Amino acid sequence: MSLIKHYIRIKCSKTCYGGIPEYQVTLDGEKIEAAGADTLLTDLYKARIGDYPKFYKMDPLCRLGFVASELLLNAENRREEQFGESRGVVLFNAASSLADDRNYQETIKDPDAFFPSPSLFVYTLPNVLTGEIAIRNHYYGETNFIVLPHFDCAAMADGIRMSFTDRDLRSLLTGWVDCYSETSFDLLLFLVDSEVVGREVELQHEIEKLAK
Amino acid sequence: MEELILKLKNEIIEVLNLEDIKPEDIDANAPLFGEGLGLDSIDALELIVLMEKTYGIKIKDPNEGKDIFKSVAAMADYISKHRTK
Repeated sequence: MSLIKHYIRIKCSKTCYGGIPEYQVTLDGEKIEAAGADTLLTDLYKARIGDYPKFYKMDPLCRLGFVASELLLNAENRREEQFGESRGVVLFNAASSLADDRNYQETIKDPDAFFPSPSLFVYTLPNVLTGEIAIRNHYYGETNFIVLPHFDCAAMADGIRMSFTDRDLRSLLTGWVDCYSETSFDLLLFLVDSEVVGREVELQHEIEKLAK
Repeated sequence: MEELILKLKNEIIEVLNLEDIKPEDIDANAPLFGEGLGLDSIDALELIVLMEKTYGIKIKDPNEGKDIFKSVAAMADYISKHRTK
C-alpha cells in the first residue's frame, strides 16, 4: 500500500534559445492537457479553478503552489471536511522566492527610478505560499517552508517525519515547489498521513520514484 | 479629464493585476476600497507608488489618502491639480 495517496507533478522548462517549451502536468499519474507552456498556470487556473481572483496577484511561486494544491485537493475529494489543526502544509525547494525576488529587484535597481513595489515585496518570502494554502483551506496545523541546497528525498522525508512530532497533526500537504520564473518550474506535491512515521526510507523511495 | 480617467483606469488594471477587468467595467465614481473594485491595503500602497512614479506626486499626509483614493475620478482630479510630470 502506497504511503503517498494523491500526488501532482507539474514541470515547465522554457529556454531562451527559441526551442519548443516543454511542460508536463500529471495528477495521480494521469496526464492533464493544457494549452501551452507560456501561460500554463493561468490556463489551468481558468479551466479548472476560477473562483479565487487573488490568484492574479500572486507571484509565480504562489501561483504554481496554489494551482497544484487546488487540483490535488480536488482529487482527494475531501474539500468539505474541516481539517483544522489536524492538517499542515510543509513545502521544500531550492530557489526560495527567487522568481519574485528578481522581479522585485527590477523595481529597486535604478537609483534614479527607485520605486519599490509593495505587491512584489510581500512575496519575497517562500513561506507566503504555505500561508496562502493554509488560509484558503482553513488548515491550522504546522506550516513550514524548508529551503534545501538541492532536491533531496531523504531531507524531505526527514522534514515530514519531524512535522508529525506535533501530535495533533494527522495529515500533510507537502512536497517540492521550485520556481525560477513564470515558465521555469518543477513541482511534486502530495498528501501523506501520520502512517509515514517510522517508514521514512519507504517514503523516500516513493518520492524518488514520483520525481523521475 | 475623460482622457486622464481612461489612462488611470488602464494603469490601475495593469499595476494591480486586475485580470479580466476592462476600463469600461470600472465606474469612475465608485469607491475603490471596501466595495467597488474591492482593493486591499497592498493595493493602496501600489497606488501611492503609481502616483509618485507616473505623475511625480508624493503623498506625505496619510489622511489625504482617504480623499485622493476615494474613486478613480477623485484620483484624476487630484492628479490634474498636483502633477509634476
